[in-house]
Amino acid sequence: MPPAAFSPARRILEGDRGMKGYIVRNPKLAWREVDGEMVIISPEDSQVHELNETASLIWKHADGRSLEEIAERISTEYEVSLEAARADIGELVTALEQKQLVFVATEVKG
Amino acid sequence: MAKTPVMDGLISRTVERHLPWSVHVDLTYRCNERCIHCYLDHEDHGEMKTDEIKNVLEQLAQSGTLFLTLSGGEIFLRDDLFELLEFARSLHFDISLKTNALLIDAERARKLRALSVRRIQVSIYSAEPAVHDAITKVRGSLERTLTAIRFLQAEGLQVKIACPLMKQNLMAYRNVQALAAELGVPYVLDMTITPKMDGDMGLLQLRNPVQDLLPILQDPTVNPPSSSQDSAQAAQLATGSATSSGIESQAYEDIPCSAGHNSCYISPYGEVFPCVQMPVATGNLRQQRFEEIWFKSPEMERVRAVRESQLPVCSKCSIRQYCERCPGLAQMEGGDLLGAYERACDLAELKAGLAGVQNPTSALHAQKPNRKELCSIPSPVATPAVQAGSN
Repeated sequence: MPPAAFSPARRILEGDRGMKGYIVRNPKLAWREVDGEMVIISPEDSQVHELNETASLIWKHADGRSLEEIAERISTEYEVSLEAARADIGELVTALEQKQLVFVATEVKG
Repeated sequence: MAKTPVMDGLISRTVERHLPWSVHVDLTYRCNERCIHCYLDHEDHGEMKTDEIKNVLEQLAQSGTLFLTLSGGEIFLRDDLFELLEFARSLHFDISLKTNALLIDAERARKLRALSVRRIQVSIYSAEPAVHDAITKVRGSLERTLTAIRFLQAEGLQVKIACPLMKQNLMAYRNVQALAAELGVPYVLDMTITPKMDGDMGLLQLRNPVQDLLPILQDPTVNPPSSSQDSAQAAQLATGSATSSGIESQAYEDIPCSAGHNSCYISPYGEVFPCVQMPVATGNLRQQRFEEIWFKSPEMERVRAVRESQLPVCSKCSIRQYCERCPGLAQMEGGDLLGAYERACDLAELKAGLAGVQNPTSALHAQKPNRKELCSIPSPVATPAVQAGSN
């Protein structure tokens, strides 16, 4: 189960997601960075996930920040337009969420 | 851990970078069992305190360690175990435990689940209490261990049974297989009995003569025909080391194993070794930083420099593909990290013979022409159709 403040809100990852969601890592997972890329393991099924560079960047910042904030960072770091960064984030966050590696909430409590 | 292309790729990268990816930490050598084959000195000679271990864990996390195995001794004898687990979890380690489980009750199982411990390896020597308890020297230990396993399973935790095989329980592997199937858990059969840490070789008398291992090597539930790819993979997982925590893989290529390359062992006293089965002291965390030992210790570098293709005897061996030489045991029993490990030679000859190799002779034994033939290989024996465990 996700933390109480982070009920998955899938609809914001689709169509009308915008960049209003907040993202947090699944706290059950184990992870380390290897050569700039995240390696993540699920304790429940021992599944190993290896993220690419951009997904790893999202993961690193998935500590309750807004998707918009992460889009701005990616835009700056990779020197791409904010629109392009938003589009990438939309796809990657959906993939991460489908694998239950992250949770997305519409608001952060506290 | 499942062997996958992703894992093999990661193993190659961690070896290339000398990343200490998998670290086995013994929290204590104290134990509440007195297993007859145990290689440890159970007296506490000054094990690391809570803060010292936390400091070590912080260093490991900074160095890139992902897989953390906590073992002993019996780890639940440490009053600070859950504090350490909580701390390790905050550092995002993948946590596995090795325990006899005697002290695990429903509440502790619940806590382990809450801390996202991935796997708990529990030693079981037989499904018959008389056999198991005679090895642990604790009456009622099998029943208590099985009760604990059910607590762990009730919490959805992954349990793995480790069954070290010695003279006292050799054929018990069948009832351990059946028990694992009944519980729905994987198992590993470990045919290795090692000398005591102080060098005392007395424990080796508990070891099964190699020819007595034939029923296991011929058992299709443990060693299925090579034509069955899935079963072959299961067999790789059904036999192995219950002690070492290195990750096994073909990705190591010309290096003997993970020891010193992407894994190491830390004793309760802060000593760092390439592996729990490799008595090559490389430094002590009470005097040095982990990275200083890992990257700069001459002993670690010496272990890291070994290549199988350069081993003076074994590189010339014609049945090398059947051999599971352990460099640590070669050092421990033969005094030479680069030398042959004769027990592995004996086993390789047996396996090669079973595979149809005519007069299989290891390079070591080819140097000893007067050596008696180890044993003859009888026809295959009938075995129960119990599914081999998987990881």
